Amino acid sequence: MAIRHDRKISILDVMGPVMVGPSSSHTAGTARLGRVAYEILDEDPTELLFFLHPPLASTYRGHGSDFALVGGAIGLNVDDPRIPEAIRIAEQMGVKIDFAEEDLGDVHPNSVRIEARGPTRKVEILGSSIGGGVIEVFRIDGFQSRFKGDSPTLLMFYRDRPGMIHEVTKVIADESINIASLMCSRSGRGKEAFMQIDVDSPPSSTAVGAIAALTDVTEVRFLDRIP
Amino acid sequence: MVKERRLPGGRTAGFQPAAMLDADAGKMRRYGRLEAGAPPGLVGMPASGLRINGRGDFLMIESFKHLAEVARDRDASEVFLEADAQEHGVTAEEILASLANRREVMWECIGRGLGGGTSMGKLVGNEAKLLNEAFLAKKTFLDPLMVKAELYALSVMGENSRMGVIVAAPTAGAGGVVPGMLLALEEERHVDPAKTVRALVIAGGFGSIIALTASISGAAGGCQNEVGVACSMGAAAATYMMGGSTLQSIHAAALALKNTLGLVCDPVGGLVEVPCVKRNAFFSVHGLTAAQLALAGVESFIPMDEVVEAMVRIGRQMPRGLRETAEGGLATTATGCEVGQRIKDEANQRRADKAAERERVASERKAH
Repeated sequence: MAIRHDRKISILDVMGPVMVGPSSSHTAGTARLGRVAYEILDEDPTELLFFLHPPLASTYRGHGSDFALVGGAIGLNVDDPRIPEAIRIAEQMGVKIDFAEEDLGDVHPNSVRIEARGPTRKVEILGSSIGGGVIEVFRIDGFQSRFKGDSPTLLMFYRDRPGMIHEVTKVIADESINIASLMCSRSGRGKEAFMQIDVDSPPSSTAVGAIAALTDVTEVRFLDRIP
Repeated sequence: MVKERRLPGGRTAGFQPAAMLDADAGKMRRYGRLEAGAPPGLVGMPASGLRINGRGDFLMIESFKHLAEVARDRDASEVFLEADAQEHGVTAEEILASLANRREVMWECIGRGLGGGTSMGKLVGNEAKLLNEAFLAKKTFLDPLMVKAELYALSVMGENSRMGVIVAAPTAGAGGVVPGMLLALEEERHVDPAKTVRALVIAGGFGSIIALTASISGAAGGCQNEVGVACSMGAAAATYMMGGSTLQSIHAAALALKNTLGLVCDPVGGLVEVPCVKRNAFFSVHGLTAAQLALAGVESFIPMDEVVEAMVRIGRQMPRGLRETAEGGLATTATGCEVGQRIKDEANQRRADKAAERERVASERKAH
């Protein structure tokens, strides 16, 4: 057998999404990657920089990937008929936009690095659009991730120390929420670290607040399914 | 409940395209944000009554062999809905409601697309219009079911090439095949729309099993991974719509997929236009052929799981130039290269214009 994906794609993912044409990997997937940046940034962006992996850089023009990336990054859904106008809308909002080509290494052909800045925050993600609108974000702010946007997810930035996973998962367990997968990465022992927790149902805002209040937690972001 | 939807002008596709466009302008906005990809997750786990295999584990359909075991004597759409509810925490009602909405979007898309119009890359545009005119003038010689399958596939793909709203099934570039087959069948063979929605469950379920092994993108394995998978899903769904068994659906899917193996992805200028738009029309008929054979009792000699594996292997052996890169095949013919150059030139011109505009604004600001 060839590739076995760790998670089964749903019926609605296969028979969808409802989207603006012309390409599910170049338009819908890229819009969703932009949307991930928007959701993590959690405010209207003022500057959006897109670094396209060479194969994507050579094919994106004809597929409207530029409209789609910008559209997602200003918060539009993949089926929003305003996506073809997204760059104009973003410019009216005063967003500075730039596209460049960058070799992102041994990654899927349709990969992009996005730097999004808002008035108070910034975020950097690296992700791939792997077909049919399905995405995989494999780096968030320098930390390894495997975010697909297909389930509710908690993203947590914290300082590495013993007991952290226990404390966080206890808060989630106390809400009777099942964890589908969990992954951690850190810049070094006792240094900045990142945790991605995919859950089967969204936690309450109280729980998210309780996690944010834990010692050594810098920031928590809750992301629902990326439309 | 599924709303009955007919194209204006009765059962045939004949109507005024302009009127349809106006009527749909409002609708475009209406469904812009209604459906957020997947419905919101449920709180907690699905009811334990849904556990259906003996070990009390959650049911995940891992292969077509497995599907044949669990759905041999059952309505396969029920099995897919149960499995998805367990795996993804989305209820059967939510899935059916979403798919009913997507069927509507498909019809609306076909309605807009029948009128034709130039694509973004200006390589295609009037295919649906020409076929529709010939059909209305009774100048087509194929069975109306075949003509409509072609016509609806062309309509969807025309809309797609103009950045219109479509349903990716499973991708946008292959998004004409499933609606072409299933909606033509619904209309011509008077199938209950609720049954069409169930058939979309079958199509999605089959696609999700294929996607366990294969990446569904032209970049991964050529057009066999897109249009091939689409007509395989569609063949299974059409077999279901016509009253076939689960095993017949699996054979239909295998027959359809087997006969698309090796299909390359060589889009001219890198655009989803040539050969994609017309190819969708060809393969909607191909899928119906597979369904017809399976319903008559014809079986695929190679089991479906092995056909999918073969597709994955062929994709790996396929040169990079024939996997969506526009660096081979039709894309590098004399005409293809000419188009590629024009697109590059136009993009460079746009970039130069923008830079000049930026400079002008900056210098004006300085003057102030």
